[in-house]
Amino acid sequence: MEQQYDIKGMAAKIEALKKAAVELKAMSQGIPAVDCNVDRILTNIRILEISFTEVADILRE
Amino acid sequence: MIGKEIYWNPLLETLPPEKLQKLQLVKFKEIFQWAYDHSKFYRKLYSAAGIEPGDIKTFEDIRKVPKLEKSMFREAQGKDPYPYGDMLCVPLENVAVYRQTSGTTGQPVYQADTWLDWESGVEAYCYALYAQGYRNTDRLFLPFGYNVFIAFWTYHYAGEKLGCEVIPGGVLNTEARILKMQELRATAIGATPTYALALADTARRKLNIDPARDLCVRKMTVAGEPGGSIPATRRRLEEAWGARVYDQVGSTEAGHWGWECTNQSGIHVNEAFFLLEIEDLETGEPINKPGKKGKMVVTNLHRMAQPCIRFDSKDVIQWSSHRCECGRTFRLLEGGVIGRTDDITKVKGVLFAPTACEEIIRSFPELGSEYQIIVTRPGNEDEITLKLEINPGCESKVESIKDKLLTQLRLKTNISYNLELHDFGSLPRAEGKAKRFKDLRQH
Repeated sequence: MEQQYDIKGMAAKIEALKKAAVELKAMSQGIPAVDCNVDRILTNIRILEISFTEVADILRE
Repeated sequence: MIGKEIYWNPLLETLPPEKLQKLQLVKFKEIFQWAYDHSKFYRKLYSAAGIEPGDIKTFEDIRKVPKLEKSMFREAQGKDPYPYGDMLCVPLENVAVYRQTSGTTGQPVYQADTWLDWESGVEAYCYALYAQGYRNTDRLFLPFGYNVFIAFWTYHYAGEKLGCEVIPGGVLNTEARILKMQELRATAIGATPTYALALADTARRKLNIDPARDLCVRKMTVAGEPGGSIPATRRRLEEAWGARVYDQVGSTEAGHWGWECTNQSGIHVNEAFFLLEIEDLETGEPINKPGKKGKMVVTNLHRMAQPCIRFDSKDVIQWSSHRCECGRTFRLLEGGVIGRTDDITKVKGVLFAPTACEEIIRSFPELGSEYQIIVTRPGNEDEITLKLEINPGCESKVESIKDKLLTQLRLKTNISYNLELHDFGSLPRAEGKAKRFKDLRQH
């Protein structure tokens, strides 16, 4: 099943999303509307990591 | 060929078993390290057993980690950081969600979750609902109290995540819930088997509504107690509602670890999110082959606030020898949660599981769905009494079915019963899970 998907590419995109979210939070200088929403985004990014990035690591082995 | 459209996550759900096990080992090591580093309770537990994170190298090493018992939660909790005590692995301000157990086996256990823990639980539930055919065209109705118990909260949020329309039926009473389901043409519901039967019964008797004919519910997910995987109970539900009935299993402490797919060949264990072990009921030795019942030990591989690592759930399960035709590599359990070790007890010298009676009782259409099993010892010998209800209009048939009922029960459980037959509606009803087994012997 994994042959159908660009798992490496997806993992890279997930990493990029995370980086962008972390940078956004750093830029906000503590605006709650940014920080709290970014925290939610980072949670969902973590779910993507659990769902795909970590599997990519196992499949690469 | 089975298309990817039946899977919430085709990668994880069809991962080859050896890679799935590798993933589980990696994740177990991580959560074990996390708990060891972040909680005095877990460090003390593991140090007393002489085990450290570096000791877990292989899958077999996992068994060296001491099990968590519900009593340990109870002892640790009620203290600072309040109310979770030193089981908590995160600062109190990171706890975003509180739930507690229902307390059917004693003092309730408090369950702390970070927002990530909660979302991880919702994600796990999405696997179940997607596998059961829920899609964004469904309109879900939730007939439960939305209170401190986990109940169907995760079903609600997973339904939203899937894009379903979710109707909270919290404050409404049973009749109002039925009317609202009808009014809004709900296509799916989540309920305990007990309450789903009660809803159907109330609809027919008090509202003159036949759920199978007059409501649009075509699938339901049942959880919270055995029933969904007991064929006679499932049949009653399906006939009453004209709907597919899917079993889903989990606990407050562990999370939602198992579910049926549309093939209904057993309970799929979500092995990407949970590690399930089965231990022999008497010896405690691991059971890795199908066909033998054992006690479930479960690890939630992602729960950070209050980790659930090798939790002795007291649930009785067994591996299935089959692979599901859905193509998922998640292993199957035969018959769902068959019972609980704290309900399994010796009666008249024989090991007895109360759920063994349900299949037989509910296969008799003359009998109502409610029942009670009461064990006493009035003298020197055990007595077991089955309290049953007679369905209205079936009073004249009861004498003719008594012998057949007692024979079937004896063949299934090796026990002879006293029978008490009651009018329909006399036995207690539960809105959530029912406690039908009472052991009144002095132990």
